[in-house]
Amino acid sequence: MSDRGLTGRQPGAVQNALAVLEVVAHAGAGVTAKEVGELAHLPPATTYRLLNLLVGEEYLIRMPDLRGFALGRRAAALTGAAPEPRLSRAARDELRRLRGSLRVGVHLVVFGPTALRCADVDPELPLRDPALLERHLHAGAAGRLLLADQPDWREVHPPSRLVRLTASTAVRPHQLQARLDETAERGWAAQTGEVHDDVSCLAAPVRGADGALVAAVVLSAPRPRPPVDHLDAARGCAAALEPLLA
Amino acid sequence: MPAPALATTSPVEGLRRRRLGFLEVLAQSVAVLAPTAALVTVPALVATAGGSLTVPAFAAAGSLMVLVAWSVRHAARRMAAVGGVYSYCARGLGPVAGVVCGWSLVVAYAALAVSSCVGAALYASALVGWAQHPCVVAVGVVVVACGVGLVAARGVQLSARLVLALEAVSLTLVLVLLGVLVVRGGPQAGATEPAGAVVVDALPTPGGAALALVLAVTAFMGFESSSVLGVESRRPLLFVPRAVLWTPAVGGVVLLVGAAAQMALLREAPVAVLLSGAPLDGLVRAEAGGPLPSLLDAAAAAAFVACTSGAVTALVRVLFSMGREGVLPAALGDVHPVTGTPVRALLTALPLVALVPVVALLAGAAPRAVLSGAVTVAAFGSLLAYALVSAAAPALLRRIGELTPAPLVVGVLASTSCAALLLVAAVAGPWTGGQSLALVFAALVVPGVARVVWLRRRHPERLARAGVYDEPTRRSVL
Repeated sequence: MSDRGLTGRQPGAVQNALAVLEVVAHAGAGVTAKEVGELAHLPPATTYRLLNLLVGEEYLIRMPDLRGFALGRRAAALTGAAPEPRLSRAARDELRRLRGSLRVGVHLVVFGPTALRCADVDPELPLRDPALLERHLHAGAAGRLLLADQPDWREVHPPSRLVRLTASTAVRPHQLQARLDETAERGWAAQTGEVHDDVSCLAAPVRGADGALVAAVVLSAPRPRPPVDHLDAARGCAAALEPLLA
Repeated sequence: MPAPALATTSPVEGLRRRRLGFLEVLAQSVAVLAPTAALVTVPALVATAGGSLTVPAFAAAGSLMVLVAWSVRHAARRMAAVGGVYSYCARGLGPVAGVVCGWSLVVAYAALAVSSCVGAALYASALVGWAQHPCVVAVGVVVVACGVGLVAARGVQLSARLVLALEAVSLTLVLVLLGVLVVRGGPQAGATEPAGAVVVDALPTPGGAALALVLAVTAFMGFESSSVLGVESRRPLLFVPRAVLWTPAVGGVVLLVGAAAQMALLREAPVAVLLSGAPLDGLVRAEAGGPLPSLLDAAAAAAFVACTSGAVTALVRVLFSMGREGVLPAALGDVHPVTGTPVRALLTALPLVALVPVVALLAGAAPRAVLSGAVTVAAFGSLLAYALVSAAAPALLRRIGELTPAPLVVGVLASTSCAALLLVAAVAGPWTGGQSLALVFAALVVPGVARVVWLRRRHPERLARAGVYDEPTRRSVL
């Protein structure tokens, strides 16, 4: 339901909007409308209109004092995938320790604000297709952790992208909503046969000191049910990874 | 990078955030403006005061409300609040003016809920063919209030969808009905009765014209009420301002068309019908047989139920906001953990909304008198709030360093016009007993003012919190 008033025939408006975004990104959180106008060389009325447009669309947010601006979550989606992961040796050792004690696949995914990346895949029992997990956030357990953590998952993963991977994939918004509500409530995610027919997995979150989702320990197994018997082990590993990743 | 100033939770935490789509937000404003209910009641009243200036009065009232809406929109694009217009006012003009505005909004929404409750009961009892005895209407009021309360307690999304459906149905029905009547050519004047043209084509006195304008404004009350859904709408800073501006603009066109059609019909109807208080009902019953009268009753009842629901939603959220700030008792800021509804505010407000008309009806007041009396009180409250918020919008823009000439000019114009209309309404009195209703309104505002004085003396820190809004949290920034 966005404004279609602006067309491709008004490149000036698009350039100005991008200039405003760039100025806010450079100047940092708290830059005022007046400063944005001066830095972007735009007249005040145009600046205010563009700022309000970008705030309405949530590329920008207004700071609590209403005067300042900062980049919003939606601007994060512009940068695309999660950052290229660089894991410390301590983190890899922690994962190796868990792999030695379990007979299911143990993987680590890291989260960006709106995307995830498979950072360390179990070499013995690898993920069949890591790209599927990265693209179809609604189907995999780790993707559901990310979506459940959003104020509104539709912003990160629009309902049009609810692709059916198997017969049991949740492809209706209310279905997914129910699963995300469940995920948010119990604090970990699981799925059965929604990415590949014969694989189920669960994901335990690794959170930073401020509660932000940083990474997840994912256990995968060719079983008809998620490996919940190893949930405590996955959570223990996630807790051990917290100081190493966050 | 998240700035240190950002909190981890919003001050309005607990409400179900980000659920409502644009149509649901729009429905809130449309329901409280209640175009169908306004079409059924207001044009004939305007005509008795304004005569030939009836349609221009609607046009002028609509234009003024669009100006107010334009001012409200500037604030709504900058903060997502639960208190709506009250919060904008508190942030623009300061807490004292803000709380006065908020309390007059509380009075306005409550009075509107009272009047639409009575209206719903009145038309529903007509629909099922019961006598419109005050006791029957009183029972109807209790039923409507309980129903609306139950839906409101289940969550904002359900009530938003309910009002959307009811409004769509009722508006379609009434427009079809008016269309049918106009096509049929309306009633023919009897030889013995003077036709309504005597009233409809009369040139009004200046006082009459002013009164007509005031009355026409009452048809637009509530267009701002979607501003209370700031937290609950999916894109508050986009949907709310759009709904606030579209509602009076589109509603104005519907009212204008409806009023013009009614004028054409009433011109040829007997004067007695025009002065009956519910001329459209009289017209339909006298001239059109078959299912049309029931159609009108169904449409009006649906619109009044939607209006009750919308007014209760708005009322409860303003009370919730004041409870969270500590301006009113903190318990009003409680939220049901599962449904996310401000359940304490609902349980406080709803019994009063039902009890006042029930007591009045059981004391022997005519249902239509209760309906119009409550609407008049609501009109005073709305006009005061509009005058304040139109002034608050440019003040808010100035405070955050974003004032340009256009909002200043429009804000001053809208604010002074609303204040002038408020004076006219208080002096001239929209209906018989208008002045006494102005006194009733003044008496209802007194507790709010007393609260402000008390807070200022005892708890200035609580007063300073007035006008909380959904602040961005750390999760909302990159």
